[in-house]
Amino acid sequence: MASVELRNLTKRYGDVAVVDDISLTIEHGHLVCLLGPSGCGKTTTLRLIAGFVEPSKGEIRVGDKLVSSPAHSLPPEKRNMSMIFQSYALWPHMTVAENIVYGLKLRKMDRASIGKKLDAILATTRLAPLAQRYPGELSGGQQQRVALARALIVEPETLLLDEPLSNLDANLREEMRFEVRRLHDAYRYTTVYVTHDQSEAMTTADLIAVMNAGKIEQAGSPEDIYDRPRSEFVARFIGSSNVIKGKGIDAARIDFAGTPLRCVGEQIKSGASIPVSIRPHDIAISAAQRQGENVVSATVVRQVFLGGSRDYMVEAKDGTQLRILTAAGENIPQGSTVWLTLPPERCRALSG
Amino acid sequence: MTVALPASSARRGLGIDLSKPVLIAFAVILFLLIAMPLSWLVLYAFSSKTGAFTLDNFHRLLTDAAYLDPLLTTFALAILTALICCIVAAPMGWLVARTDMPLRRTVRLLVTASFVTPPFLGAIAWELLAAPNSGLLNQLYRELTGAEQGGHLFNIYSFTGLVFVISCYTFPYVFVLVANALDRTPGDLEDASAILGGKAWDTARRVTIPLALPSIVAGALVAFLQAMTLFGSPAILAMPAGFHTMTTKIWSLFQFPPQPELAAAASLPLLILTIVLLRAEHMVLGRRGYSVVGGKNSEPRIVRLGRWRWVMLTAAMLVLMCPVFLPYFALLNASFSKVASHLVSINNFTLHNLHFVFYELSATKLALRNTFILGTLAATAGTVLALVIAYVHTRQAVRGYRLLGFLATAPVAIPGIVLGVGLFFTYTRPPFVLYGTLWILLIAFVTLSMPAAYQQLQSAFKAVHPELEDASRILGATRLRALWQITAPLLRTSVIATWCFIFVGVIRELSAAIMLFTSETKVLSVLIYDLNESGDLAAIAVLGLLMLVLTFGIVALANSLKFGGARRLSAP
Repeated sequence: MASVELRNLTKRYGDVAVVDDISLTIEHGHLVCLLGPSGCGKTTTLRLIAGFVEPSKGEIRVGDKLVSSPAHSLPPEKRNMSMIFQSYALWPHMTVAENIVYGLKLRKMDRASIGKKLDAILATTRLAPLAQRYPGELSGGQQQRVALARALIVEPETLLLDEPLSNLDANLREEMRFEVRRLHDAYRYTTVYVTHDQSEAMTTADLIAVMNAGKIEQAGSPEDIYDRPRSEFVARFIGSSNVIKGKGIDAARIDFAGTPLRCVGEQIKSGASIPVSIRPHDIAISAAQRQGENVVSATVVRQVFLGGSRDYMVEAKDGTQLRILTAAGENIPQGSTVWLTLPPERCRALSG
Repeated sequence: MTVALPASSARRGLGIDLSKPVLIAFAVILFLLIAMPLSWLVLYAFSSKTGAFTLDNFHRLLTDAAYLDPLLTTFALAILTALICCIVAAPMGWLVARTDMPLRRTVRLLVTASFVTPPFLGAIAWELLAAPNSGLLNQLYRELTGAEQGGHLFNIYSFTGLVFVISCYTFPYVFVLVANALDRTPGDLEDASAILGGKAWDTARRVTIPLALPSIVAGALVAFLQAMTLFGSPAILAMPAGFHTMTTKIWSLFQFPPQPELAAAASLPLLILTIVLLRAEHMVLGRRGYSVVGGKNSEPRIVRLGRWRWVMLTAAMLVLMCPVFLPYFALLNASFSKVASHLVSINNFTLHNLHFVFYELSATKLALRNTFILGTLAATAGTVLALVIAYVHTRQAVRGYRLLGFLATAPVAIPGIVLGVGLFFTYTRPPFVLYGTLWILLIAFVTLSMPAAYQQLQSAFKAVHPELEDASRILGATRLRALWQITAPLLRTSVIATWCFIFVGVIRELSAAIMLFTSETKVLSVLIYDLNESGDLAAIAVLGLLMLVLTFGIVALANSLKFGGARRLSAP
């Protein structure tokens, strides 16, 4: 096992930089999620790490070994990695058992050890009764576990997962998320996990790298990314956020709909238009007039009872609409004037 | 984004980039196969006897009645055939796909049988049935009506007879297109019309027929093409009647005294029309004809015919009498009868014909040997070529893969006889003097089979997800090993099926072979054609049955493989 390090990694197809100058260090034994919308370059990054794609610039190191650079790229079969593919890529002409032991056979392991390892992994992934079936005869979740077993049995230095849960239905996906994390905790491979599903990333990752347009927008722990987004893209992509715009007054305040709003986060330039994010559940709403810092008045445009909570849409004086989640009991009719309290420590000034 | 240029990374380790030479080699092969004959064809078409540039050939083609008449005949023939095919095949396709007519599967199977029957064999069988004097049907007619000797009901040696016989073996094209389109049209679409108040007829008129229309039009275009480019049937039926179509005219221009320049000029319209019509078909069908829309379609909606079920079945069976029952009966009868034109009876039964064909007729052994050699070689070479090109194309393994794909598909627009003429020009001169050898026939067969083989293997490759290979590599397999252990087994059934279909194609090919054979390189189809010239119908019947048995056997084998393999290999 070893760490994986990407240095100024770039991949161009023609003029388009699909992966644009990415640097990222993945600690030994950590699980990193590359999270982003489709087309953001996350899968290409993964395939660069796997060696299916060669970089146009930059390099990839595993431990202290250079595996990818524009001049030389180690072919995938020599990297001692494993990968779980979006399509699972189970070979339809081999049984479950044959699929799983394929990698061991390539490593010329003796029959007895192969059998022992197979039994162990079949037990861990609860596939033992299905060992002689063909992949076409399995359900989606079972196929997924075969793919996991096949990747794990070779005890790779690095495990790569390409949207492994995207083909499952919602319930199963939720279950498999925890399964992936459980197996990771059990085996502790250095793992790179690609997904576009933020809750998947939240459950599984030690570190999330949010990608957009070929670049890493922000990398950090799930709490970090959620609580302290640095850009509008991250704020909107991870959980829902209200992003409001205002003119900077001084280093800590902006002017929003005529009210000075104290914020934390990025440095504020006075006079510049500054985006500020705040989560819907961080805003307090009140039908009675409030006073004090960071209080803004607004009108209720609509509200919906969601059972466990209530979902408001309100409009500030300058026309900005904000979403607010409150306790279900907080029932203020449509059209009422309300006072919103935006806690300063929850208002995060963002970079551009 | 998931498909890289993998070849380069794999090769770099060896220090040699093999992808370029591979591409160049295959491009050159394909180029030689396709571009050379066509270039010579064009060159000859614009040459005088002395080799100077001239437009005379075309001038003669359009003014001399000896050439203009065949051109007009061919047009009339093609248009009538297309019309008849649509009128007969479209309703049949609907009956089979969308009604509760009994024995639908059997009807489909019988249509397939007429599909697989070589058209020239059908034409010969209809000679046995409807030649004015000796034809079995005409004998029956005289028997029933007491008409005098020479009176006849049918004369197959006529324009009408030719149209009829060609239609018999062309209507399956329309049938298959229409039936498939209707099979794939989701029943929901018709249910939606019904729920909005559309009666059965309204629904048919406003929904079903418009949905099927593109495939009918496409079918008509294909039928037109078939009728236009067929050589065997007109050679057998039209020439005795004293008229020519374009294909027989081209052929006759190579008989003594040969006029190759005129033949080249006469070939060009066929080539150009074929290209135009194929473009038209593509435009009409778009991607519709070949793509299956979604997997969640409801069952097709079945129309209940009620009392009409059996009437419709009778009608369908009557139609199938013409391409299948009657001709097959005539061939069987002629094989075992002392006189080909007499019905088999106790004192008329003989096995002599079999004995004659297999032990006395010296040409049989040679033709069978040639056919098997050519079939095996063409199928093997064609499959390998198509396999490599399909791999390169689907995995985009080398730059310029699109060119290879295009070249491999191009022969679809070259009628057999036109290719025959082109190959004749190319390989009767240095540096490649191949005329009179089996090689020239091999080249013709490989070229003609390339588009179908390539398309079949390409779709097979597409069905193998590239990640299946990637998965093997990331676990430690080299590129070659991944191909061998993962891709090859998954493609095996398709490869065998492709091989079989090329083989069958070679057995039944006549149009190109007729231009290129010599006495030493006769193949089965040419032998049958030759025997027809000499009037040896009994021997033809035996050889024809042999050909049919071979063809059906191989087709059945290929099909059983396909279905046997498909179950287990259904996508995970």
